[in-house]
Amino acid sequence: MTYGSMITPIGSNSVENFSAMLREESGVDFVENSGFNNENWPLGKIKSLPNKNRYNTLLTEGCKQLTSKHGKEIFDSDETIVIVSSTKANLEDLPNDTFSSTRNILTDELGLKNKIVIISNACISGVIAINTAADYLQSNRYKTAVVIGIDVLSDFVVYGFQSLFALSNEPSKPFDKNRKGICIGEALGAVILTKEKINDDFHVEYLGGSSSNDANHISGPSRTGEGLFRSVNKSLERASVKSNDIDFISAHGTGTNYNDEMESIAFDRLGLIATPLNSLKGYFGHTLGAAGLIEVISTMKMMENNTLLKSVGFEETGTSRPINVLKNNLNKEITTVLKTASGFGGGNASLILKKVQ
Amino acid sequence: MSDLKQTLKEQIIEQLNLEDITPADIQDDTPLFGEALGLDSIDALEFIVLLEQNYGIKIADPSEGREIFQSVNSLAAYIEKNK
Amino acid sequence: MKLIGTCKISKNGAFLNGKEVELFSSDTENWKKECYTNLNLDYSKFHKMDSLAKMAFLSTEIIKKEVDLSKYDENELTLLFANNSSSLTTDLKFINSYEVKGSPSPSLFVYTLPNILTGELAIRNKWYGENCFFIEEKFDVEFFLEQINFYFSKGSNACLCGWVESNKKNEECFLFLIEKNGKENIKEQLTTLYKQ
Repeated sequence: MTYGSMITPIGSNSVENFSAMLREESGVDFVENSGFNNENWPLGKIKSLPNKNRYNTLLTEGCKQLTSKHGKEIFDSDETIVIVSSTKANLEDLPNDTFSSTRNILTDELGLKNKIVIISNACISGVIAINTAADYLQSNRYKTAVVIGIDVLSDFVVYGFQSLFALSNEPSKPFDKNRKGICIGEALGAVILTKEKINDDFHVEYLGGSSSNDANHISGPSRTGEGLFRSVNKSLERASVKSNDIDFISAHGTGTNYNDEMESIAFDRLGLIATPLNSLKGYFGHTLGAAGLIEVISTMKMMENNTLLKSVGFEETGTSRPINVLKNNLNKEITTVLKTASGFGGGNASLILKKVQ
Repeated sequence: MSDLKQTLKEQIIEQLNLEDITPADIQDDTPLFGEALGLDSIDALEFIVLLEQNYGIKIADPSEGREIFQSVNSLAAYIEKNK
Repeated sequence: MKLIGTCKISKNGAFLNGKEVELFSSDTENWKKECYTNLNLDYSKFHKMDSLAKMAFLSTEIIKKEVDLSKYDENELTLLFANNSSSLTTDLKFINSYEVKGSPSPSLFVYTLPNILTGELAIRNKWYGENCFFIEEKFDVEFFLEQINFYFSKGSNACLCGWVESNKKNEECFLFLIEKNGKENIKEQLTTLYKQ
């Protein structure tokens, strides 16, 4: 698996993003009148996107980056499958179908031969999409699987999280004692999975992944971290890896009280309490369907550069289990990493990646 | 007061999109967050909206709502006291 | 693979394994409520569900009349669902809550994701297995079978799958349960039963 594209509030490719993160830059900033009662919520907004047609513009730009970096041949091959992860796609198309522009843009820009697989499974869509891509490769019907995660800011989503009293009125502080909630963001992230290395870029090996439902509540996380616990155990088993082989966790860490607490309980139950971890939501905000992708790409950058990024916004332990949230950037070689995600609908997903030596 | 309670039941059904429930299904002392209606913490947030829109009463912290939203009786009493 | 059971419901009726079950009078506005009542269920959460979750819930309960779903391992029953309109019906209701009614509704917002229905099924039945929700242009048997194969090869032994759609033109759910062991021509069976 290697880099595809990455457009976020702090950078328009993975290199730019990683340098901005090393400088501890956050893309979360107050956006005037973004709230239902004209509050100025802090949001992770991509400033270069136009006010109208944000989704289509971002998706088109992401595709152009993919083809300029990798050429068109790997996309318009009949041995390539594209999987998209998005929670809401293009809400500007309401009251009509919100996902049809996705298919049109991808077909036009990438010249795809096969059907496009779209996954809309709340905040775990991105991790599930990568797991599904790995399934396609293992089936031997495809040589290449491209995963694109995308979601953009909208009144719809901001008002929705506001109505849940889930938004933070300051840049979010995942896992911190004084965390106040979520900051919503927007981004596009893409990775390319292949059987063989396709270029000289850094590659990681996908070892395994899974999902599990909490079977507890449609919008509140399980108090025992049940689904996350079960998903990580299943992923470890599929990857033939033990929990003490995990060098680093790219956690979900939304910055809400219940979610972050739930994660700490699950990691404790998994024997991962001392494993260094971060949440990248402090850099980008919570980018929903793009989150899994941009967080996996950032984690690959950390593996490539032997540098673990601090969890921006975190100062003091704020969960009942004292998990090892990174307060400072750390130079450390990491080989095996765990990525997790949890979301509405009781979903939890995880995957395990290994540095290609 | 009984008019208020009847109105409240109608507003609860409307606000919570309980399309299949009728006011007669809700007794004045039915625990709103018990098994009878299947309501939970998200619905508590709907009560905050309901109070603000219909009675001009603002509740800033969702945790304050717990006692107020126990039943139609407690809701009505709170509205009488604060309107 | 073996096809264990199917249920198709819409306002035109409920069909269990291709046979109509009398649970509501067709074409009534409130057919889902009537169906729920006639199934003699006591699950108050049903009334709060959106149309997608209600249909998936009812279809599952109807299949349970013939198949004991509790026999499946709680970690290994996979839920795979798809539709074309995502959560369109609820999306429009949610927009209406803040554009017309004056305030964004939290209980509508939580249903503006199509995968909430798999959460509802998981909660009702205590299923902790894998879930995935796909947005597809139309009901595509081959796509479902491909996905089911992926999950069977990863260790799952049963998949409860559904095409569940709610938009202005159409409200329907086609649910099917497939077990790993067996050699049947499922593709044809499903195509026929879906068209019913």
